[in-house]
Amino acid sequence: MGAYSSTESLNAVPRLGIQSRSIRRTETIGELDDIDGLVRNYRAKLLRFVIYSTGDLDLAESIAQDTLLKAYLNRDKFRGDCSVKTWLTGIAINLTRDHMRSAKFKFWKQASSQAMDVHELASFLPAQGSDPERQVLAKENVKQLSQAIETLSHKQRTVFLMKFLEEIPVNEISQVLNIPVNTVRTHLHRALHSVRSKMGASL
Amino acid sequence: MIPDPMNHLPDEALNDILIGMGSAEAEKHLSACPVCRGKVEEFRSGLEEFNQTTLVWSEARSNAMERIHARPRSQRGPYTFVGWALTAAALVAIAVPVLRHNDGFWSNQKTAQVALPEDSDAQIAKDNELLKAVNEAINQDDESLKNEHQLLERPHLRLKARPE
Repeated sequence: MGAYSSTESLNAVPRLGIQSRSIRRTETIGELDDIDGLVRNYRAKLLRFVIYSTGDLDLAESIAQDTLLKAYLNRDKFRGDCSVKTWLTGIAINLTRDHMRSAKFKFWKQASSQAMDVHELASFLPAQGSDPERQVLAKENVKQLSQAIETLSHKQRTVFLMKFLEEIPVNEISQVLNIPVNTVRTHLHRALHSVRSKMGASL
Repeated sequence: MIPDPMNHLPDEALNDILIGMGSAEAEKHLSACPVCRGKVEEFRSGLEEFNQTTLVWSEARSNAMERIHARPRSQRGPYTFVGWALTAAALVAIAVPVLRHNDGFWSNQKTAQVALPEDSDAQIAKDNELLKAVNEAINQDDESLKNEHQLLERPHLRLKARPE
């Protein structure tokens, strides 16, 4: 993970051309001014990202709230170099890192683990029509993928989630995490290898 | 990477495609090879299913959070804490004298029986003062709870109950 402070993370965004940066900033400035809109559009995604990053539901709820609040209070620092989603994810990553470094988190992590319940998760599967076999396979897929992600190292899990859940481009992941593109690629390769082998699929 | 339909793409090339960094040659092979394409599509569809499910779950959690935070402040206002504090104070006020009064009772019942006449008037007066204080504290607690839940007395109901 890049060695930068939470404040620096607000500026840790990918470089784009001046013109496209200006256009993007104009488009998103209104979005950041609307705290209700931010909560409505991004809280669920942030919550999911942090839950899989930390395995702690209560902490994830707290960090998701803090991320949105911090982004709103520092919205004037958003340069428009990346999407709002990428910017928010960067803030969430730094807040998560700060929490995970704290002694309190280490204590509670040992005391209790409140990871996402894969059985509960499977009950949220979208309807698969009337095919019960398809439903069972889908549930199994979600459970396996969830468990496979949880076994990844922290760095691998972070880049995997950013790429495949948040759909953030590799170059933006590189900028947010302050690591070279090739390092992101290496982490993704290792994460994919691990996930695919645990999934037991033909891929 | 040499595109050869007979030799399927190795894991690394497939991973690059999944990451979105596949070479032109690998992409060309993929378009021509149903086996490799099937592998990529299988992973992508599984991931899509996972993303949809986790997002629906997360939205449900997020909505639950919103309901909790949207609860009006007045419903969990300062009166709640004052009520609890007064209740705790009342319990302490009862427990301390009772424990002092019964000190040694369980270890030596004879001693306790002999000691009973000694703490008659003074102790009773002291106990009465404490009970009065407890009573006042409880009444204050009731008032705060009434205010908190807006359980104000309604005059017309009182009039009906009052004898003519």
